[in-house]
Amino acid sequence: MGGGDDRWEELLSAAQAGDAAAYRDFLTNVTPFVRALARRRLRAEDAIEDVVQDVLLTVHRVRHTYEPGRPVAPWLAAIVARRSIDSLRKRGRGAAREIHDPIAYETFAEPDANKAEGYDYAKQLAKMMGELSPRQKEALELVKLKEMSLIEASAVSGQTVASLKVNIHRAIKRMRLAANRNGVE
Amino acid sequence: MTNRPTNQLIDLLSSNVKPVAPLPPPLARAGVTLAAMALLGGLAFVLLHESNPLQSRGPGGEGLVGFEMLAMLATGILAVTGAFFLAIPGRSRYWLGASLVPFAAWLLLSGAGCYRDLVRTGPAGWQLGHSMDCMIFIVGASLLLGAPLLWRLSRATPIDPLPVAALGGLGTAALAAFLLQFFHPFAVTFIDLAGHIAAIIIVVGLTALLKRPMLRPA
Repeated sequence: MGGGDDRWEELLSAAQAGDAAAYRDFLTNVTPFVRALARRRLRAEDAIEDVVQDVLLTVHRVRHTYEPGRPVAPWLAAIVARRSIDSLRKRGRGAAREIHDPIAYETFAEPDANKAEGYDYAKQLAKMMGELSPRQKEALELVKLKEMSLIEASAVSGQTVASLKVNIHRAIKRMRLAANRNGVE
Repeated sequence: MTNRPTNQLIDLLSSNVKPVAPLPPPLARAGVTLAAMALLGGLAFVLLHESNPLQSRGPGGEGLVGFEMLAMLATGILAVTGAFFLAIPGRSRYWLGASLVPFAAWLLLSGAGCYRDLVRTGPAGWQLGHSMDCMIFIVGASLLLGAPLLWRLSRATPIDPLPVAALGGLGTAALAAFLLQFFHPFAVTFIDLAGHIAAIIIVVGLTALLKRPMLRPA
């Protein structure tokens, strides 16, 4: 199924051992294969790329389920099939419930009013973040500062999506209390 | 999902890769789990068993009960093994159907046994036996056996949790029904059989309902 399957086996096995370069090679090499499989099930280019990224994130989470010595292509194809079905379902549900409003992102009609205030809160923010637990800090940094999706942050941090949500909620609550205490608006 | 280009995502993931221990083959994992369940069931048998299950249908019914119990055991073993295989991406989907053959045989043999008793004993074959006790036993024993099973299955973070949970539920219910035979000193009537089937449906429904919190799918 996959042209470079033997090589993929070696790279994925090395990635399981923690070899970052092999893992990068593996993900780069399998991406066209994943994209081609996704294209068989989906039409829209943005949907295909979403599935490709979702598959890469899933591969990251379930890489321990690959059994060294077995072919990689069926393992990978099953993940692509599953994520494509999930995407089709999600889009079906979304299309039935959501409407697109391109100006909904604007909060005020006057463009200048939408700009961030010019105050520098960096120091106070750093101090408040210092009071958070390591997992709360990690969750806040990945999702709010680095703007990762919850799934990406989950793959990177090892925290579950639910745990990330809880930690972000607690972190914001704690920072809000600290801000009130210090008189920061 | 994200506005990040795919190559940036690859950089992000590869720079955060940590060593992981590959899961042992599903057959080995299923074997260890079934051995632990057998140990638990064996202990319950030694401490609590009341009767010889083969004699529950009276003289001449031993063969039928023996095959019935064999079908229950085969359903349990194949369903639990199938759940471990289906938890891994790319493994054969035939595992979904493998346990259905002995399951059908189990229902047919139980039905045949009930019919035999109905012919032999008349209307007594329709009477309410200990259906509620049996249901409670099957559901209770399934929960005891099912919780560690689901925990072990969750190690694979299955990408499609429903068939994994459903097979896990069927497997534990079948093994619980097998164990029940050792605490069941009477013949199963049609009403009891309906109770057994209801218990299986409850267990499979519960595991399917709890698939996300229990299996933590990817």
